[in-house]
Order: sequence, then structure tokens, then C-alpha cells
Amino acid sequence: MPLLIIFIPLLSAAGSGLGGRYLGGRGSGLLSCTWLSIASILSLGLCYEILLNGSVVYLNLGRWIESDLLSSSFGLHFDVVTAVMLIVITTISGLVHIYSTSYMKEDPHLPRFMSYLSLFTFFMLVLVTSNNYVQLFIGWEGVGLCSYLLINFWFTRIQANKAAIKAMLVNRVGDIGLILAIILIWKEFGVFDYCSLFSSLDSCHSSHSSLSWICILLTIGAIGKSAQLGLHTWLPDAMEGPTPVSALIHAATMVTAGVFLLVRSAPLFDYSPTATILVGLVGSLTAFFAATVGLVQSDIKKVIAYSTCSQLGYMIMACGLANPEGGLYHLLTHAFFKALLFLGAGSIIHALLDEQDLRKMGGLVRNLPLTYILMLIGSLSLAGFPYLSGFYSKDLILELTYNNYCLISIYWLASITAFLTAFYSLRLVYLSFISGPNRLPKVEPAEDNWELLGPLLVLAVGGILVGYIAQGAVFAPGPRPLPFVPTTVALMPVILSLAGILLVFAPWLVPLEPRIHGFLARAWEFTPITNYYVGGPLWKFGHFVSYRVVDRGILEALGPTGIVLFILGRTKELSSLQSGLLFNYALTVLMGTAITIFLFWQ
Amino acid sequence: MSYLMLSTIILLMGILGIILNRSNLIIMLMCIELILLASTILLLSGSCALNTLLGQVFTIVILTVAAAESAIGLALISNYYRLRGTISACAPNLLRG
Repeated sequence: MPLLIIFIPLLSAAGSGLGGRYLGGRGSGLLSCTWLSIASILSLGLCYEILLNGSVVYLNLGRWIESDLLSSSFGLHFDVVTAVMLIVITTISGLVHIYSTSYMKEDPHLPRFMSYLSLFTFFMLVLVTSNNYVQLFIGWEGVGLCSYLLINFWFTRIQANKAAIKAMLVNRVGDIGLILAIILIWKEFGVFDYCSLFSSLDSCHSSHSSLSWICILLTIGAIGKSAQLGLHTWLPDAMEGPTPVSALIHAATMVTAGVFLLVRSAPLFDYSPTATILVGLVGSLTAFFAATVGLVQSDIKKVIAYSTCSQLGYMIMACGLANPEGGLYHLLTHAFFKALLFLGAGSIIHALLDEQDLRKMGGLVRNLPLTYILMLIGSLSLAGFPYLSGFYSKDLILELTYNNYCLISIYWLASITAFLTAFYSLRLVYLSFISGPNRLPKVEPAEDNWELLGPLLVLAVGGILVGYIAQGAVFAPGPRPLPFVPTTVALMPVILSLAGILLVFAPWLVPLEPRIHGFLARAWEFTPITNYYVGGPLWKFGHFVSYRVVDRGILEALGPTGIVLFILGRTKELSSLQSGLLFNYALTVLMGTAITIFLFWQ
Repeated sequence: MSYLMLSTIILLMGILGIILNRSNLIIMLMCIELILLASTILLLSGSCALNTLLGQVFTIVILTVAAAESAIGLALISNYYRLRGTISACAPNLLRG
């Protein structure tokens, strides 16, 4: 069964990818949806075994690399963390598959799309189920590759091409961190698999600073994949792909890989307070940054993208508070309501004939009542409205930030973020559904069929209930004693959320100054600054040093071209000695003879 | 000794004639004759000094070869003149390297 869960998506990808031209759009959609549903049902069964019955599955599949000191094997490792990730990945992915068959109905490349989606799921499952870091890296690179293919799905659009390349390259920066971390782990410990590594940590106090470096490099890897501050710029651009792709990337798979890496490596982080504080700072700053930027975005998908960035900041922050279970809990609830938000936004966009601008929407509540209800559930859950799933997990993390072992700035950033989150998520609902209609009277929007709305309903049920259901589970430390916090601090997140929610319905109380608005709308000028200080100099370095000096200069002068030119010039000079005049030849002969005699007659 | 000097001088005159001559191919042929004559003078003086006949035999062979060579050379030059209308030594310079 564990193997089936992993390989069914691969079979589905191969089936609709290679046989798509025989199956057609409808057939490949049906095939991959059926198989993904089977996989998610199987994974629910597996999660029943692992989460409720507490039986960890450990499978050794075979040897992979057997060198002298380097040995790595293929193996699967299903424990609590993996089980939670399995629920998230297979459920959301199955629902996104079903949704895509309706959303992408008119696209001629539907088989290719379904194939990429299934391949994405497969690589993500490889990532979460591996029992060592090297096999994890297969999945890590695989989801990067699949995100490239999916963002670039409409490959005739130049923006999609640019966004895909950006996603690939910015992710690569983090991947380098992960590679270096793996190399350092091998150098320090000599093993790759989690069991041996984590059990050998106790006896390894001598290499404390190198353990810090391992953790910092792992953090860089997580920063790249989870779009944290610094390497976040690819995430908003990844909105160029089709909407179900955004849902898959932002809710269930891609970006959660970074959080998963930190949760999985939590025993390492226990030995490095430096790296832990760094993780907390990065997470809280990202949460705050993305929330402020999300306030003023006018693209409906960009608002949700920045909210993803912000919520991932919360999860990373929880890992930085030495409480990775809290992060995992938020990951689970976030996956449901974020997929709900994205797919709901897809439903709006679909109904408005690919109109993504919030300013051109409005008044949709009469036309799309069901979508309105679903989006409202998702937004309230994201805002942390009491008794929806986002409330449980976010409240937990916010309370965790208020303890003596953490920087107090993390608490303040997180609290402000909670307020801003409530504001921008309800602003989205207000602008698209409630405010007066601003759109051009093109066509009267209407709800689509049940293939589109069914997954939304399932996700909405998840968005309401998952937080409560998972509250008592092993990984979600609900029943366990929390760090003692004052009552005001415990009530603060709810108050902030409600204030943020209510502020939306007040007539715009906070008209931002245009300069601040522009600063936020351009995402703190991050892209221009990176382009100016990193991209531009690197580009110039590539042109002047690598290309002009090294390639066209040194290598060409000393390499084949230079040698050829040199020899050609010398032979021209030599052959011009043969002038065609007889007396010159005679002179040459006699001089040659004289020299020979002079040299050899001694 | 004086014969040696004589033959060397004639040899040098022949060589210089070949190298410095720019006007006429026949002069070049004559200079080749001079070089061959210098060698015969050296061979004859050597054969007298060493009291052996071998030098004189070689001399006769060389004279024969020189006669044949100048005959063929003159034939080439006259054919060349028929083709080009000149026998200047600078004229045949079309085969450059």
C-alpha cells in the first residue's frame, strides 16, 4: 500500500502523458482523477494506521549508491510527519485534478496538464516519504522541475516563460543551500538516513559549529522552496500558470516542502539555537512583509499568493520557535483553506472570462452565491475567525511566540500580521463580491458545473473542520499544556482578527498615502533592488568577465582559434619567401649550401 | 695553389653572375658553364698534382654533361622566347609561393 500511494501518481502521469493522444482530454482527465482518488483513499488508510494506531512504516527498497564511505539506499519512512503530508498532498491533489478537468476543459493540451499534475504529486510524495536526505533531494528537484513545466504550461506567453525560468532559478539558489547541507551532513556524520543521523546526534557535541552551519544551510534551502524573504520573488510571478496549478503549488505541494524540510530536520535544530532564532526571524519577517504587500495588490491571484507567502512565514516561524508540530498543524489547515481560496478564485475568474483584476469585479454575490459562501469560509478561515480551522493553528503559533526563549519582536510582527491578514483576506471578498459592480457588461457570470464546485465544497468542509479534528492529534499539541501566557495575550489574536475583519466594512478608513501605497504595491521594491544589485552586476560580470575576458579573450587567444591564426600568419610569411624569381632561388640554394658546409665541416 | 685560386675565383664569378643577373637567361646559362669550368680546372690541377688520371676522366665527363646541359638549356630558352617574346630573368615569376 505505501508503494502504491507513491507510484499510482507516476502511472497516472505516464498514462496521460504518453497515451494522452489516444485518450483525449476527457479520457485522460477521467483516468488521472480515478487514480488520484484511489491514491488519496489509500493514503487515508495509511494515515489511519500511522496517526491513530501509531504504527510507523519503514521500508527498505534497495541499495542505490554504494561507494567506499558514501552509501545511500532507497527507502521509505512513514511516520507522523509523513502521514500529515500524505493527507495534504493526495487529498488536495486529487481535488485539484477533478477541478482541472472542468477548469481546463477547453484547453487542447489537457492530457499534458493532467500528466504534469500527476508527476508533480509523484515527486512531492517521493519528497515526503523518503528516509534519507539524498532521496528527498530527488523529490525536491522534481517538484522544482514540475513547477517549471506547470507555470510554463501556456508556453506561448512570454510572461509565463519568464515566470517559469525565474521560479526555476530562484529555487536553484535554495537548492544549492540544501546540497551543501547534505554534503556537510555526510562529512560530519557519514550517514544520510534520518534514523541513523538523529540517533547519532547525542554523541556529536564536538561538531557544534558545523551543526549550526548544517542548520543554516537547510534553512536557506527552505527559504528558497517556501518563498521566504529574500528568495520570495518567484512566488507572485508563479501566478502566470493556470489557477489549479497555483492551488497545487501554493497549498499542498511545492511551498510546503520547505516547511517539511524544517519539520523533518527538527532534531538537528534542537542542537543549534542560533539557526533556530534565525529561522524564527526569517519566518516572522516574511509573514509581516507579505501581509503588508497583500494589502494593496489588485490582482486576485496575487493577493492570495502573498497570503500564502505570509502563512508560510507563520509555519517557518513556528519551526523557529522550537515547535515544528505547530508549523505542521498550520500546514495542514492552511493547505485546505488556501486550496479553497485558490480554486474559488479560479471559479470567479472562470465565470468572468479570465478577468483577474479585483478592481474590475464587484457585486458578484448575486451571480455566484455558492462561490461567495465558499470564498467567505476560506477567507474567514485564513483570517483566523474563531472556530474555523485557521483559528486553531494560527492562535497556537501566536501564543507560542510569546515566551521568554524567543525574541519579542517575533511576537509583535506576528500579531500585526494577524491583523493585516484578516484585513486583506476580507478585502478580497469585499472587492470581488460585495462592493458595487465595476465590471464591463460583457456577459452575465454564472456558476459553473459541479465538477468545478464539488472539490470546492469538499475543501470548504475541510476548511471548517480540519482544524478541530486534528486538534487532538499527536502532531497538533492541543491537549498538551501550552506555554503559560496572560489572558490578554491569549485573546489578542482573536481581537486582532475581528478588528481586521470589521475594518474592511468600514468605509475606507485608512487611505494610504500614495507613496506608501506604491511602495507596497511594488512589493517593497524587492525585485528592482535585486535586479539592480544582484541581477545587473551578475549579468555584467557574465558579459564582461566570463564572455569577453575568458571566452573571447584568454581561451580564444590561447586556444584553437589563436593557434590557428598564429600559424596561418607565420606560414604566409614563410611562403612569401618563394618569390618566383630564379635568382632568388639560386641565392637561397647557395646560402643554404654555404650554411650547411659551414655547420658540418668542422 | 694558384690554380685553386683561379678555379675559386671563376666559381665565385659564376655564382655572382647567377645571383646578380636580372636581365638575361642566357647569361645565367653561361654562368652555369663558368661554374662547371671552374670545377674542371680544379679537377685537372688536382689530377696533375696527385699524378692520377681519374681527374681528367671526370673532366671529360663533366664537359660532356655541360655540353648536353647547355644544349637543353638553350632549347628551353628558345622555346620560352617563342612563347613569351622575352628572355629576361625577371619574366618567369608567375609561380609564386
